[in-house]
Amino acid sequence: MKNTLKQVFRSANFRIGFIIIVLILLLITIYPIFSPGNPLQMIGYDSFIPPGLYVSLYDSLDVPRIYTLRLEGADQIRIYAKLRPTDRELIRDWLLLYSEYNEVFELRKEDINLEDTEALLGLWWTYFDPEIRFENLTIAERRAFARLDTRIDGIFDLYDKYIWTYNPETGEQELVGSVTNLAYINVSDVTNVRLLPLGTDNFGRDMFKQLVSAITTSLAIGLIAGLIATMIGLVLGLLSGYLSGFVDDVIMFFTNLFTVIPGIVLLILISYSIGQEQRGPATVAIVIGLTSWVWTTRSVRAQVLSLRNRDHVNLSKLSGHSLPRIVIKDILPYIASYVVMAFILQVSSAILAEAGLSMLGLGPRTTETATLGLMMNWAMRYTAHLSGAWWAYYPVILVIALISFALNLINTGLDRVFNPQLRD
Amino acid sequence: MSKIMLEVNGLTTKYITRYNESVYAVNDVSFQVEEGKSVGIAGESGCGKSTLALSLMGYYFPPLHYTKGDIIIDGRNISGMDPDDVRKNILGTEIAYIPQAAMNALNPTRKVIRFIEDVIWAHDPKISKKDIHDLARERFETLNLPEDTLNKYPVELSGGMKQRTVISISTILSPKVLIADEPSSALDVTSQKMVIKMIHDLMELGYIKSMIFITHELPLLYNVTDDIMVMYAGQIVERGSADQMIFDPIHPYSKGLMGSILVPEDGTRDVKITAIPGTPPNLKKPPDGCRFAERCQYVKSQCRVQNMELAGLGNGRTSRCMMSEEELREAYKNE
Amino acid sequence: MKGYGKYFTKKIIWFFITLVAAIILNFALPRLMPGDPVAMIISRVAQNINDPAVLRQMYESYMQRFGLDRPVIEQFFIYVGNLLQGDLGLSFSRYPRPVSDIIAHALPWTIGLQLPAILVGWTLGNVLGALAAYIRKGFDKALMPIMLFMGGIPAFGMAIILLTVFSLNLGLFPIAGGFEQGLIPHMSWRFVFSIIQHYHLPFWSIVLISIGGQAIGMRSMSIYELNADYVKYSRYMGIKDRKIVGYVFRNAMLPQVTGLALSIGAMVGGALVAEIIFSYPGLGTTLLQAIREGDYPLLSGIALIITVMVLLAVFILDVIYGLIDPRVRAAQYEE
Repeated sequence: MKNTLKQVFRSANFRIGFIIIVLILLLITIYPIFSPGNPLQMIGYDSFIPPGLYVSLYDSLDVPRIYTLRLEGADQIRIYAKLRPTDRELIRDWLLLYSEYNEVFELRKEDINLEDTEALLGLWWTYFDPEIRFENLTIAERRAFARLDTRIDGIFDLYDKYIWTYNPETGEQELVGSVTNLAYINVSDVTNVRLLPLGTDNFGRDMFKQLVSAITTSLAIGLIAGLIATMIGLVLGLLSGYLSGFVDDVIMFFTNLFTVIPGIVLLILISYSIGQEQRGPATVAIVIGLTSWVWTTRSVRAQVLSLRNRDHVNLSKLSGHSLPRIVIKDILPYIASYVVMAFILQVSSAILAEAGLSMLGLGPRTTETATLGLMMNWAMRYTAHLSGAWWAYYPVILVIALISFALNLINTGLDRVFNPQLRD
Repeated sequence: MSKIMLEVNGLTTKYITRYNESVYAVNDVSFQVEEGKSVGIAGESGCGKSTLALSLMGYYFPPLHYTKGDIIIDGRNISGMDPDDVRKNILGTEIAYIPQAAMNALNPTRKVIRFIEDVIWAHDPKISKKDIHDLARERFETLNLPEDTLNKYPVELSGGMKQRTVISISTILSPKVLIADEPSSALDVTSQKMVIKMIHDLMELGYIKSMIFITHELPLLYNVTDDIMVMYAGQIVERGSADQMIFDPIHPYSKGLMGSILVPEDGTRDVKITAIPGTPPNLKKPPDGCRFAERCQYVKSQCRVQNMELAGLGNGRTSRCMMSEEELREAYKNE
Repeated sequence: MKGYGKYFTKKIIWFFITLVAAIILNFALPRLMPGDPVAMIISRVAQNINDPAVLRQMYESYMQRFGLDRPVIEQFFIYVGNLLQGDLGLSFSRYPRPVSDIIAHALPWTIGLQLPAILVGWTLGNVLGALAAYIRKGFDKALMPIMLFMGGIPAFGMAIILLTVFSLNLGLFPIAGGFEQGLIPHMSWRFVFSIIQHYHLPFWSIVLISIGGQAIGMRSMSIYELNADYVKYSRYMGIKDRKIVGYVFRNAMLPQVTGLALSIGAMVGGALVAEIIFSYPGLGTTLLQAIREGDYPLLSGIALIITVMVLLAVFILDVIYGLIDPRVRAAQYEE
């Protein structure tokens, strides 16, 4: 046993897969300790908040200390953030249009240097007039110019920002302080800071927290479904392979039947018939398990058939040992590795099956728990991909692929140990 | 003295393992086979006899590599020839091979006749299909194989039939040397007999000019071959006529090997295990002296330092031992 | 061909058995659920329809179809009778359009998308797997993890990746649908071009996810075959390596045909979900609408059609397999 384990760990494939799974398991056990609470709590008022470190604006106003830092390039960064390359091109477009429109004003495309911010803005502020209506310009395009103008208004100004508060006694606004362009605060001084590594989804729920909880649920679904499928497959495969005759024929008839009838169709029909309200994660796992035992049955049966006439089994039979004893002592140990491999495959395909079902709207009922499939379903339903909210679906796809990848790696690693033919 | 069909001089080949270690499985082997003669090679599993069979083909692919030595077939030295030249002009036509596991030697999804076409066209693409079919039919008829075998897939043939088909295919181009690597060990007694008879027929009909027969079943060699060579740890330790080797082995290793076979009646198991104690040396790091020294009950201190060359004993026999024939006979008598 | 006839008869009988089983399942599953299935089915759709008259009409038509007051056997024959007439009931969500009509419109899109995609994916996967087994070294080391990783990406995941990268970011392909919105389907260059434009992304997402699993399977099979005894024997008979590689890959591919038959159900299931991402006007998208709108007749009709398609594909693959693998015919004689 110890020797086999050593051999298994010598396979690079197995090691990599094992490490990925261990890391995922660590994540789902440790993260909830540091970030407790309901993963489906809606914390955001907006949908699809991008990933980032969020700092409370309100609390940052009365931090104990304000630092004055003269950081090089801070102005450029500020200007760049307000005036992106696309904005510069927009300015150029307007100026060129204006040059066509106004016969006195002559400007060629080459004359405009997009990098020279001051010259560019100088031209803009001199000539831009929202009242001018160029031909062939849609309303949206005209508004884009107007919006740009308001946005870059005062871009070079470095006036202090003033903070006023309402005094309930006097009923008046009072000046309490000002913020210069050199004022900085230390983030650790701000009481309310929240890291949203993956932003939020359309309901304003913390994506990362939700993802961690979804991995837990999906893995649980995979394990339950895998266990059920493996148990059924093992029992049927053992019976069919060892008993042969009529029992074998009946079992193999159903196995072959459910091999060709697509599992997804059964899943869809059963899940739909159960109804949305009755479908919890456990029900979904059971349904998946009940429809995916055929592969295990096949491989267990094949293994048992090849073992049935081995000397040690015959010896056991001649010694008058009972059927359960022969199966447990003389057959099970020899097929254990295959059963483990089949189980791993079952887990990975059950996770994928749940995802597929949920995409169709037949997964676990929503709003109580998150699963990887449900997260995908929500992202697609609220068209995250059309709003550019990559954080709402790419991490989920990556996690599904990683789990499946890792389990497959583990399996190929095991396969190479137990099927020496593949080794080299 | 008749013509020499196969002459091997100092042939050495090695396996290169995954970890880039060299294993010299055939080490400095020299012998000759005359026209019309058959030579048997005997030895324990792993002694290098199957590797010797492959090495004689003059066609090497990983993990087996040629190191040095000559293989001369009917006066033509094939070692050092271009591999594609060997493939086209030597394999099958000059020297042919019957594999150890002939059960799976044929592509299961190709009809026997298609494979024969492939074999012949690989050497001469100009031969017409009709000529090939005529030749194949004629051969199968002379060798008493049913003609419809040609149009069957290997999966449709029984084990014995498959083996005889493989032998017919191997010899279809009338090679000068046939190398048979345990061609009958996986068969039942009846099929075994038919295979042996077939090999005799091939010799008699002149389809093959000489043969090397490899097996671990010594009684079989006595019936099949003229001479027997005993191999140990990649080297030949003794050669003599079948009679001499079975009834009067000289080298201590041959003595042990033969002794264990010829007394099958009482307590077979015990004798076999205790006959030659120990295991053959690791060929990744062969000993400097005699390779059998560790297991030899007549070992002398000199044996561990110096490895003897194969030396003639008169009447065509050769042996590789420090002790003279007389010394050995004396030692055997005292037992 | 006698062996093949027997094999073919077996397969055709098996096809009809599975077909009957699929119909029974389709009939039985909703009836096995506790409570009044018709009431349950109608309640799902009730929230989308406000007109009580229509609702009552639906209830009655469905009550009649199910015939719940009659014995189960009679219900089954009513069901089969309707099926034989091509009557799958009326859709709820597009009342009173017949389900068969909706499916007839969606089916060509799904077949036109999935059949070529699965075949191309299967072929590419086999070629890559064979190359990995033959070249080994770096190519194998780099390709296999990529294939394993790609095999782990669900079909819809691949669809979303392709959609966001090639359509949303690079703007190379349209975002959704089977053809440009506003175009009326007819034979014109513009329409055909639009169909091809919309075809690319769904097609490649199905191809890409099929490649992984196939390549891995083909690689193991090829390595297994490359180590087979017939490879060594063919080499020693002087057959060119190129020809032997031909034997090997043909033999390795044969189990892949059966493998495709066994996995086509899962592949179709995955591809249906991929259709949804692109709102492709095939069965997958229709299925999603049926589920969302509680349109049970449509859902059940689609489930049946998908099953029949898969069973038919498996049957055709079995028939082809029997033609190309002689071992199948040989096995028939043994029984």
